Amino acid sequence: MKRFAWQWLAISSLLVATLAARAETRPQYGSTLQVGLSAALTSLDPADGTQGDSFARRSVTSLIFDNLVNSDLSGRVQPSLAESWQAANGNRRWQFRIRRGVHFHDGTPLTAQSVAASLRFANPSWNVLAEGESVIFEFDTSESELPGELAMTRNAIVKRDQNGRLSGTGPFRIADWQPGKTLSLAADDNCWRGRAFLDSIQIAMGRSYRDQMTALELGKADLVEVAPEQAHRVSPERYQILHSPPMELLALQFAHEAASPEERTLRQALNLSVERGSIYSVLLQGTGTPTASILPTWMSGYGFVFSVDANLPKARQLRDQARVVQNWKLGYDSNDPLARLLAERIALNAKDAGLTLQPTPGGGDLRLVRIALASSDPRTALDAVFKRLDLPEAKLGSSADELYATEQAVLAGERVIPLVDLPATYASTPRLKDWAVRTNGSWDLANAWLESTKP
Amino acid sequence: MTFRRKLLLVFTLTVFVSVAGVAWLVQEMTRNAFEKTDSQRTAALLGQFQQEFKRRGEDVARRVENIANSDAVTRMATALNGTPADSAEYFDLARSMAESHQLDFVEILDWRGTIVSSAQWPAKFGYPETTFDSISGSSEQSAFLKLEELQDSTALGLFALRTVRVGEHPVYVIGGRRLDKNFLSALDLPPEMRVLLYQNRGDHFSPDLFLDPSAGNGVSDPAHPVEKFASLVDSVRQYNQEMTGIAHWSPDPADDEVFHAIPLRGVGKDHPLLGILLIGNSRRAYVALKRSIRNSALLVGGGGILLAILLSSWAAARVTRPVEQLALAAQEVAAGNWNARVEVTGDDEIGQLADSFNRMTTELLSQKERLIQSERVAAWRELARRLAHELKNPLFPLQLTVENLLRAREQSPEQFDEVFRESSRTLLGEIANLKAIIGRFSEFSKMPQPQWQKVQINDVVRGVAQLFQAQLQAPGRAAIDCRLELDEQLQPIAADPDLLHRALSNLVLNAMDAMPGGGTLTLRTRAGDGKVAIEVADTGSGLTREECERIFTPYYTSKQHGTGLGLAIVQSVVSDHGGRISVHSEPGKGTTFVIELPRNLESLPAAAQRNIELNAAKIPEMK
Repeated sequence: MKRFAWQWLAISSLLVATLAARAETRPQYGSTLQVGLSAALTSLDPADGTQGDSFARRSVTSLIFDNLVNSDLSGRVQPSLAESWQAANGNRRWQFRIRRGVHFHDGTPLTAQSVAASLRFANPSWNVLAEGESVIFEFDTSESELPGELAMTRNAIVKRDQNGRLSGTGPFRIADWQPGKTLSLAADDNCWRGRAFLDSIQIAMGRSYRDQMTALELGKADLVEVAPEQAHRVSPERYQILHSPPMELLALQFAHEAASPEERTLRQALNLSVERGSIYSVLLQGTGTPTASILPTWMSGYGFVFSVDANLPKARQLRDQARVVQNWKLGYDSNDPLARLLAERIALNAKDAGLTLQPTPGGGDLRLVRIALASSDPRTALDAVFKRLDLPEAKLGSSADELYATEQAVLAGERVIPLVDLPATYASTPRLKDWAVRTNGSWDLANAWLESTKP
Repeated sequence: MTFRRKLLLVFTLTVFVSVAGVAWLVQEMTRNAFEKTDSQRTAALLGQFQQEFKRRGEDVARRVENIANSDAVTRMATALNGTPADSAEYFDLARSMAESHQLDFVEILDWRGTIVSSAQWPAKFGYPETTFDSISGSSEQSAFLKLEELQDSTALGLFALRTVRVGEHPVYVIGGRRLDKNFLSALDLPPEMRVLLYQNRGDHFSPDLFLDPSAGNGVSDPAHPVEKFASLVDSVRQYNQEMTGIAHWSPDPADDEVFHAIPLRGVGKDHPLLGILLIGNSRRAYVALKRSIRNSALLVGGGGILLAILLSSWAAARVTRPVEQLALAAQEVAAGNWNARVEVTGDDEIGQLADSFNRMTTELLSQKERLIQSERVAAWRELARRLAHELKNPLFPLQLTVENLLRAREQSPEQFDEVFRESSRTLLGEIANLKAIIGRFSEFSKMPQPQWQKVQINDVVRGVAQLFQAQLQAPGRAAIDCRLELDEQLQPIAADPDLLHRALSNLVLNAMDAMPGGGTLTLRTRAGDGKVAIEVADTGSGLTREECERIFTPYYTSKQHGTGLGLAIVQSVVSDHGGRISVHSEPGKGTTFVIELPRNLESLPAAAQRNIELNAAKIPEMK
């Protein structure tokens, strides 16, 4: 009898332990996720052109709104609010079939009309029609990359009421919004993807990387951004660290086209003087990838062709060819400590080549810019970069060779000097489970949940 | 100037010069002593400042030492000695070290002098430290100055170097504090001291290179423009040694400051001049003390001089009073008061002098009396002789006539009547002559007192000339030419015109008597120094010297006939007028009598009053 009792006790203990273990790994509903962001978003409207595209904007937008389609890691579009689509007439006409049973946060159903209205708002030049349960796009020219464009953040489907309130179809709805400061999101119980595990998300905006890390260490934040140069310092034993592919281009952008061949030569000298290797290894602490191309190699496949090595003798030689060497002002974001370091380093490199670069907060003859690549689709991304850099519109092919040629031609104009491709890096408390970083650098918190700390 | 005033002046000058000299000497000695003390104090303050500077350097060195000994730096040094040497992750180490150890500059260099991490210029990693060669040889014990190149400027700093020896290759830690306004402000200085720093950059002086903690946000305090230091700075730059200068901020010397310029040299073989430290010391206290001393000296000196003047006055009075009394007594004696006496006080030389004076005047008085007595006797004898001589002449004929009468009565009674009549005529003539002689004597004895009034001498002279004009040209005698040489600018004098007229008349008569054969009579007047001179000159036979000496003696005459009283009367008149008469003559060349009379117009009212009193008393004139 005694032996039998002990056996039962052992078995029951083992069973309880197993159940407990399963309970620990099973997603838990509830909790509020505390998130930190460095960007101080002043608008949640994805189509608001006053704010530039950024990982932060993508992250926030993806929590509230959905697109018709999404891009995966390889750049292929996947269905989202659109169940299917097809192109006709040489990609001049596209039809997207809208998913049924989807509602906005205000309870109104998602219709083709609402989708069309949203897309027309974001793209006034588009010819977008609602036809039944489909949305029809008609263009004068072939738009083979329309799906990729529709996956971009600015084309998220938004319902805008007369009072300017926004409604989306994402897993979270807007509970409270203080522009530039805080954003409170509450889980939408009727989300077409299913209710999120998290009850709410509290996003603190405008926090420096340092403050975010401090909050994470103190337990006041669950998910924070990590500065690229600080990524190596975040202890993987203590925190989860996730990166996106290098989706942010760090580059020097000249405000105008070169006024003369001589100036172009000087810009080329500047390009050759920059030590991308030192920037990558020291300033960025090995985060990212040195690049001399606009698109990262992992996206385009040809990025490596553009040499990233500095060539100081050649730079000096080019500099000496110029009769007049102007002094340039290199503008940088004064709120970004890394930007100042980068600017000073580039100025030092330029000085070695005999060029004078004066780092200046704000604008200048050229600026240090960070451009979040809009899509993992190279054509879409390249096109977005050209628009972002206000470069002349170029006819983009679809093949790698065509893209390479286009990129090469643009880079030869020395309007932009790529430096490094940077990933989006986030760190979270170990309690945060099942979260991911998308290819476009945004979080994916749709299925994220917080493990309870209670026994 | 009186003797007393001279003496007072001498005493006062003596005291003044003495007091002034002493005051100046005291002031100079005090000033020198203070300046010496001030120099010592300034040197002490400078020493204190240099100690403070050194302490700051030691503080920097200590902090750098702590950085070099830290675990983080040790780990980095280990990593740098590893293979491959990876310094990338330590690129930010210097900044964190600088923050934690409160330094403005921290650089970590590898063994080749390449910057591994820089707090002041983070982007400069991988670049060589340009001053490595000069600083690597510097002593690790002491701090040194260095010009640190920054992104957009250069800064002067106080640095220290420490070597971390881990493995084969050393790692260098260079840390420092910026020499800026905050550094200077933090130096513990006495209240009257301040410090500025001139950053020696460029070839020329520039006010913008000054660091003045008192200037606030500006380069310099507007009340103390740093441009005034240009010459001092240039001197230090030129001679590369400590210099001293005074900055005059305003016309008031109390606002001056003495600045000691100390060159700050960097490390390296040529020890470049990186900066100049100007330590200012206010002269306010010194000027205040100097003024106080001067004022005190002036006060004491002035008081001393005043006291000296008072004492000198008293002393001079004490000394000069007997002398003055002597002088007064002498004046009285000179004025004729032979009874003047001086009070004898003390038995010093002045007392002896007073006693001698008294004895002298007593003796003079007795001699004068004796002289008067003897002159009186002589005058009586002369009068008796003259009287005897005068009376003898008429008495002899009287005697003969009476004898003739007796003889005629006895011998020729029939001719007695005739003889009696002739003898009577002779007797009466001689009796008249006797009466005339007695009359002149009586007239001389009864010379009246002068009746003072304002008299124009020229008028008197003209009156006399006119009176005798007829006699001078009288027929039966040789003509005498009368000339008048009168000074028409003569001022009137106080005199008795009648007495003067009489005196001049006597002189004219004498002149006429001296020129029996004719000649020239000159009447001359001229003005003197407060006096009037009247000259009566003739071209007669002249007088001998003996005659000139005796001519004014009463009854002396050189004429065969004459009482000898004429010139005595003239002398009496002249004496009554307070004047003087003299004679100049040589035998054969004529004689000139000169009467000098004082103007004495101030005595005229008293004289007039006296005349009024005399008239009121109706004192009869003596006849």
